[in-house]
Amino acid sequence: MNADTNTILEIQNLVKDFAGHRVIDDVSFGVKKGEVVFLLGPSGAGKSTVMRCMNFLETPTAGKVLFHGQPVDCSEHGLNLYRRRVGMVFQHFNLFANLTILDNITLAPTSCGIMKRDEAEQLAMQLLRRIGLEDKAKAYPSQLSGGQKQRVAIVRALAMNPEVLLFDEPTSALDPEMVGEVENLIRELAQDGMTMLVVSHDIDFALELANRIIFLADGKLVADAPPAAMTTNENPRIRDFFSLR
Amino acid sequence: MSRFVQHRWLVLLLASFAFLFSSCDDKTEQREKLIMVTSATFPPYEFYQGEHIVGIDADMVREIARRNNIDLIIEDMAFDSIIAAIQTGKADVAASGITVTEDRKKQIDFTTSYVKADQVIIVREDSTIDGADAMKGKRIGVQHGTTGDTYVTTNICEPERFQDGALAVASLATGKIDAVVLDSAPAKKHVERNVGLKILPVSLASEEYAMAIRKNRPELLKMINDTLTAMQADGTMDAITAKYQSKEAKEADKAKSKGFGEWLSHSFEVNFLKDDRWKYLMNGFWVTIEISFCAVLMGLIIGFLVAVIRSTHDQTGRHKILNFLCHIYLTVVRGTPVVVQLLIIYFVIFAAVDISKVLVAIVAFGINSGAYVAEIIRSGIMAVDRGQMEAGRSLGLSYGATMRSVILPQAFKNVLPALGNEFIVLLKETSVCGYIALQDLTKGGDIIRSQTYDAFLPLIAVALIYLIVVVCLSQLLKKLETRLKKNER
Repeated sequence: MNADTNTILEIQNLVKDFAGHRVIDDVSFGVKKGEVVFLLGPSGAGKSTVMRCMNFLETPTAGKVLFHGQPVDCSEHGLNLYRRRVGMVFQHFNLFANLTILDNITLAPTSCGIMKRDEAEQLAMQLLRRIGLEDKAKAYPSQLSGGQKQRVAIVRALAMNPEVLLFDEPTSALDPEMVGEVENLIRELAQDGMTMLVVSHDIDFALELANRIIFLADGKLVADAPPAAMTTNENPRIRDFFSLR
Repeated sequence: MSRFVQHRWLVLLLASFAFLFSSCDDKTEQREKLIMVTSATFPPYEFYQGEHIVGIDADMVREIARRNNIDLIIEDMAFDSIIAAIQTGKADVAASGITVTEDRKKQIDFTTSYVKADQVIIVREDSTIDGADAMKGKRIGVQHGTTGDTYVTTNICEPERFQDGALAVASLATGKIDAVVLDSAPAKKHVERNVGLKILPVSLASEEYAMAIRKNRPELLKMINDTLTAMQADGTMDAITAKYQSKEAKEADKAKSKGFGEWLSHSFEVNFLKDDRWKYLMNGFWVTIEISFCAVLMGLIIGFLVAVIRSTHDQTGRHKILNFLCHIYLTVVRGTPVVVQLLIIYFVIFAAVDISKVLVAIVAFGINSGAYVAEIIRSGIMAVDRGQMEAGRSLGLSYGATMRSVILPQAFKNVLPALGNEFIVLLKETSVCGYIALQDLTKGGDIIRSQTYDAFLPLIAVALIYLIVVVCLSQLLKKLETRLKKNER
């Protein structure tokens, strides 16, 4: 791989086995600062697993994860520090069910000692205003709609001021009428220059927003190219996938 | 009386443990106080009068202590525990209507015997039973583990074993059984106070009572024997016996022919008002509450720790050794009855330590409850969605911080009903405290029954008090549940 100084997050020769079955087979790619990269591919291709390996929610069987060119320190403490720089948004939102919306956002910054309580609350209210949910600050997650929950989950990740945001199918669990509000927020973040890696099924959204698309199939990297090159790719798997559009 | 058969295995087990622990316990030899143990539910030999234990045995030992210028402390405990208390050196002398048997001589030394007692048969006045042979095929009640129990079991048939004589006699009076075999002296008392019962003029087995002391204490043995001989010579012994034999059972003249209302008010007065007997229930109630409350707290702390260690191990593979220890703890505590744990903690673990019995009970029930609480909380932790932990970790929170701030609060809320259930069970389980001579609520009821020979009202009163406590506890938990549920609307 070329050692580009702008590359924030990179995986090299990533392999992941589950119970002797190889689900990720020698995948390498990097994400540069300010880039929006989409991970596409058919169901079961290993997109989410790659992403979870990058955040060590799954431990890679082999291969390297590099952050600013350095291998990630995999000790408990090292991972905590690394994860503060790399935010993650989940398919099922995973808002803390026992905490109010405000506390969901402030928990990590205050517990990690990054901010004082009132500082964190100011920031949280500012973020909530940005997504138009400041009136929900004292509500609990169960009182929100799916789209609202996912937008809160995104600003919860933003509150840690991460360098990269990982999105694991952020709109897949949403009712169709709520997809738009979440995609709009991601679009805004892209315009602000946020570095993002997105696992998605939404081809149109990927073609619109992505700087690069990485296509996975059967755990292998099939292509890594700008959107325009993807739609004209002659590989049958890629052609079939994009013809679903 | 020889209540001994049932728990002999347990006593032997405890004694063998105790031997290991007590060899360093020579300080008892120099004690200036004499500690006597007895099971004070056996009138006229030992029973409560107000706060004090009185009776033939108690007065006899008081006289021995007085004549030798020693302070006497009398402790009340379950009969099953008495021999163990002597063997472990927790007490110096046991005087509790203990029958001299060959088996017991191997474990303890007996003083010279001071009473001869017979086993007699009590029947209803209209009964056709006229002797041992006529009892074949009938339902016979005995007091658990007594000589009467042994006699009936080996010679007649399998008896119905009651925890104390009063319950056996109450069953006879209400027609649930056909005859009761008991020691003659308490049998007389029971018949005096229950209308429509009689003692058959035949005795089944004759036996002698003696006091028990620990082996290898010749000076103590000699002192007691000498005093007993002197007391016999000067007539003191007969005087003590006569004093109790002649005590009239004034309460017995209540006639069953009275109307129900009259009977109830009379019974209420005898059981609760006379001699301030309600105080047994009141004091017992506070002991029960104290033990339950502290044990619940201790159980919660242990339970939380064990649950967190176990689920951390399950999820991350860390803490292998701690997890193994927790596993042993859970297996042992959940695999053995709480009574046995209580006895082992009192007689084995704290054998050589002079420690408050309430504290022993709190420790025993706390440890016991902790095991159940641990599994309840662990199930609560496992029921929390995996995504909650992943979200916390993905934000850079440590495992412990996520556990504390996110997982445990949700787990606790999930298992609150199950925890409430465990607390209710614990509260009621403390009723076995009597085994180590703690006067909890149940024991308070037992004491009243042993004085009034009335099974009905004291039992109903004890049941009602437990019920009220449990209902209050349930209401409290319900309130807490509603409060915690507010984020689920």
